[in-house]
Amino acid sequence: MNVGLHHYLIVSAVLFSLGVFGVLLRRNLLNIYMSLEVMLNAANLALVAFSRFNRNLDGQVLVFFIITVAAAEVAVGLALIVALFRMRRSTYVEDLASMKH
Amino acid sequence: MKGLELIGLEIAVIAAGIAILLLDLWTAKEDKRRLGYAAALLVGVIFLASFAMLFEGRQEAFHGMYVLDEFALFFKRFFLIAALLVLLISVEFADRFESGVAEYYAITLFALAGMMFAASANDFTLLFVSIELVAVCFYVLVSFQRQRDRSLEAGVKYLITGALSGGFLVYGIALIYGTAGTLNFRELASLGPEVLESRLLLLGLLFVFVGLGFKIAVVPFQIWVPDVYQGAPVPTTAFLAAGSKGAGVVLLARLLYTGLRPIADRWGPVLVMLAMLTILYGGLCAIPQRNFRRLMGYSSIVNAGFILLALAAGTADGLAATLFYLAAYLYGVMGAFVVLCLARCPGQEDETCVLAGLHHRSPLLAATLTLAMVSLAGIPPAAGFFGKFQVFKAVIGQGAAFPYPAWALGVAVFGAVVSLYFYLNVVRTVFWSSTSESVAPIRISHATRWAVYLVIFAILWLGILPGAILNLAEYAVHSMGL
Repeated sequence: MNVGLHHYLIVSAVLFSLGVFGVLLRRNLLNIYMSLEVMLNAANLALVAFSRFNRNLDGQVLVFFIITVAAAEVAVGLALIVALFRMRRSTYVEDLASMKH
Repeated sequence: MKGLELIGLEIAVIAAGIAILLLDLWTAKEDKRRLGYAAALLVGVIFLASFAMLFEGRQEAFHGMYVLDEFALFFKRFFLIAALLVLLISVEFADRFESGVAEYYAITLFALAGMMFAASANDFTLLFVSIELVAVCFYVLVSFQRQRDRSLEAGVKYLITGALSGGFLVYGIALIYGTAGTLNFRELASLGPEVLESRLLLLGLLFVFVGLGFKIAVVPFQIWVPDVYQGAPVPTTAFLAAGSKGAGVVLLARLLYTGLRPIADRWGPVLVMLAMLTILYGGLCAIPQRNFRRLMGYSSIVNAGFILLALAAGTADGLAATLFYLAAYLYGVMGAFVVLCLARCPGQEDETCVLAGLHHRSPLLAATLTLAMVSLAGIPPAAGFFGKFQVFKAVIGQGAAFPYPAWALGVAVFGAVVSLYFYLNVVRTVFWSSTSESVAPIRISHATRWAVYLVIFAILWLGILPGAILNLAEYAVHSMGL
């Protein structure tokens, strides 16, 4: 079987949908955060595949930036979640509703 | 290397941030608060230096990724003024941080650098990096009061929704790159309508709009706004309302007005629909609010709707109206948050009792807040009136070419009337509501007093003599080739 652009794009679309559903359906902040990373990596896969088949390196350069930014975002995000856990002893989104009116 | 002189302002801002972090090491604990004045001074110097940047027309650097024109400079100055006021406010707020005051100033400066890069982004790579630089800084700034439950909760909410919109943004960029084969806005425009109208590319654009709409607080990407505005430290909220929204607007404007110019008839109607939804949602939800910060959150949503309406016109007039509206909005927001930061009641969450009877405690602050509310509500002679006037003018000026002109005008008028109600309600609380507790007058430091004067002066100046800023906005729009 010849692996073409379509195959990569299908995998990437599946990964992206999994990520979106994970964010919407999961109740634990860490799971949600993991799903967000899956979304970013779905985009990375699509970018690299497009870059290879378009014969243009811009996409791969962008992937480097995305990986770097995602690392920074994870560092800040996990620190935040840990700080929240220390205060609330919970990482479930149901417990994030102290502000209404 | 060519290009380094063009990003001089951004380099200066980042250097200022690092300098503040270094100065922190040699500053005694009780003096750390004052580093904010140093940061504000540096920002002021950079603002003045931006006028010394002489160049001939439009210049590009880094393979067309970064562009410096009057339009970019207009927004860079906008962000610099916003940061200057935010830094002055945060000096007043600094005693409410448990630790890391200097880091707060430094991260504010780094977020400012991200916004300034956003003003010059002419490429999806720089768009993504600058938007994320702003976002990551704001995750920290929102949750800076680590000992305060609500600040952390707001931070986590902002983090999750922000990262979600970031994911959509990146995937949208991937789809656009795949179909168009380029990441540059200029090259995108040269592709012609047949490529730009392909379905995959339009889907990608929709995803990119999710990422930008989140920043601007457009319905349906506005869910985070009230909670984050309520929970975040006051200076952060002010910076979110003015700076972060501005960054979203400049990116969207440059994308729409350069890259997607050939398919203006495609995005115009979508923008108008979302603008109407945004104005209606923000206006109706603001009516029952009793918490001032949540009210400002919904007010920010309404204003996002007006900005979107002006952008949707797709003409030079519409873009100039957007620029003027943002400038007027900046001073209205800053006026409100300066007051919110200074007027606080000891021992209470600073929301419920700050406004009632404010004119007994400080006539100056009461006057500032009133003027800010009058401006946001769009009553002459304040700046906001002329901003709304410009938006209406841009919509009417297009006539039948504007998508759904009658509906758009109707909703805009409705939004303006509704916001009249809830802004004036705040003024009523300030002057005519009875306070039970005896409250001490508010002491205002010299620097903050100047910030307050600056805000008052700017609101009146933009309202009474709007010509200068309007010329600047038109000049900026002209530099984009419109």
